[in-house]
Amino acid sequence: MINLIKYEFRKTWTTKLILLAITAFAEVVFLASLYLDKRDINALSIVALTILAIGGILFIGIQSILTMHQDMNTKQGYMLYMTPNSCYKILGGKVLENGLSMFVAGAFYFALGALDVTLLLGHYGELDKLMEMVKQFMSSMQMEVSLNGRMFALFALSFLCSWLCTVTTAYLADVVATCLLNGKKHNGWIGLLVFILLQTLFSWVERTAVGGRALDVQLIGSAAIAIVASAAMYAATAFLMDRHLSV
Amino acid sequence: MDFNASSPIWMQVATRIKTEMVSGKLPPGAKLPGGRELALQYTINPNTAARVYQELEKEGLVEVRRGMGTYVTEAAERIARLRDGMARDAAEDYMDRMASLGYTRAEAVAWIEQEDREHAEE
Amino acid sequence: MLKSEALTKVFGSKTAVDHVSLNLEAGHICAMLGPNGSGKTTWMKMAAGLCKPTSGQVFFDGEPIGVKSRASVAYMSTEPYFYTWMTIRDVAKYYADFFADFSMERFRDLLRRFELEENLKTKTLSSGMMAKAKIAVTMARDARIWMLDEPFNGIDLVARDQIKSAIIESAAPDKLLLMSSHLVEEMESIADRAVFLRKGQLIKEVDIETERAETGCSIADEYRRIYGAQGGEEA
Repeated sequence: MINLIKYEFRKTWTTKLILLAITAFAEVVFLASLYLDKRDINALSIVALTILAIGGILFIGIQSILTMHQDMNTKQGYMLYMTPNSCYKILGGKVLENGLSMFVAGAFYFALGALDVTLLLGHYGELDKLMEMVKQFMSSMQMEVSLNGRMFALFALSFLCSWLCTVTTAYLADVVATCLLNGKKHNGWIGLLVFILLQTLFSWVERTAVGGRALDVQLIGSAAIAIVASAAMYAATAFLMDRHLSV
Repeated sequence: MDFNASSPIWMQVATRIKTEMVSGKLPPGAKLPGGRELALQYTINPNTAARVYQELEKEGLVEVRRGMGTYVTEAAERIARLRDGMARDAAEDYMDRMASLGYTRAEAVAWIEQEDREHAEE
Repeated sequence: MLKSEALTKVFGSKTAVDHVSLNLEAGHICAMLGPNGSGKTTWMKMAAGLCKPTSGQVFFDGEPIGVKSRASVAYMSTEPYFYTWMTIRDVAKYYADFFADFSMERFRDLLRRFELEENLKTKTLSSGMMAKAKIAVTMARDARIWMLDEPFNGIDLVARDQIKSAIIESAAPDKLLLMSSHLVEEMESIADRAVFLRKGQLIKEVDIETERAETGCSIADEYRRIYGAQGGEEA
């Protein structure tokens, strides 16, 4: 299992490294502009870092879906599926590697964000006012929230879990299109339809279960539902692969 | 070594080894390569190589010593008999070929003698 | 040792393998022969567990092939299948990580004989080098069964002999070597059994030496007889 995870990581680590390098560059720009009081550039670097954090995590997931697709549709898949590992293990390696990568990236960006906010706070001392404005804005939208570190962490957790769920749903849709409907007309579209239907189902479950509750309950609830749904997607995908996959 | 299609490969390899025995390239008592080495040497199937030694052993031309390997027989008279037999086969082949070209046996002998004289002059 | 029962694979409207029942015994080097499209590759892929049959089954030592059999079956596809980000050394490490029967020592020995460098990127390999690298990594496994799909494709004469040597070295009474090829002459001397496929169907299974002794036919003769002019010369 460790080997499977290791090689899933090796398939994607160059792009992850590039992501890290760009982030490092943006962070350097942020720090430099902060201490040189270049406010425009500083604001720009904050935007860039925010986009990198969210985009980076989305990208890690998308890359995992693409790798999975490649492993089923090109000869390179022989490398993976000729090893003495069951589809449950092989897919497990993929899900774990991807989940770990996303959570590590999430934790990394969260820590970086916390650090940068602290630095901003220390440098300008005006951030309290800014946070107050955001809160007022949010409450004017009838969202009773207290924006604090815990809430941000819950947001991040919920985002990561739902994204993992989206990625595993994409795995399933891809396996349906590739294995079950191999060579059939419109298999890609049917796969997409499966994806949309499942995602709709999950958001309906989420709304029904935790909709209208306090925000933190909603966030924790949606994260839990997403994790359960991810596990279900994993099991269904591996089951189908085990029976029908031909590379 | 190129093999012809019409006879089994083990037979062709066995003939080659026999030729080496009668020509003295493989003297009595000489150690022969192991089965796998023989297979590698001639690029043949290991089972075919094993068959070569089995057949040579049946003919009493090699001895398989358990755990030691395969050796050319020490019995020189067997090699001599083999040599005679191979010479006879070669002579018969020659006669058959000349017959197929329409020569009588006497003419075939005359041809061989003439060939021998020309060779001596060179 | 490796047995297929009424093995069938249908792709859309084309039947690639059609009710092939075969029982291949250990201790042989078996040539799987037939022109392109006769079902050799598909049969092997199913036997390797990479491709699911439409119907029928494959058994290894009496058990349906699956995760367990893959640990003992070394399959080499005819197409290049290494990850493109790997060097030859990475490929060997990958095999060592996943296959308990892989020998790095044997691998290095084969590489040296094939005059291949470990640090070459698989992406940059010529087709001949790729073919050698595939053979080296596959034959470096001490598997029970080796299945080599078209091992002589794209390989020069000298390297063909080196590959044949590697194959002969691996043959043993408890092992099975199965090679497909449409280059029949290359198989002639190293194989002792031959399986002929045509349009997905099993035509004939022969013992090569018996065939020569009884009919005076080489497998190349047999091949020409079975496939006629159209199938015989696709090399």
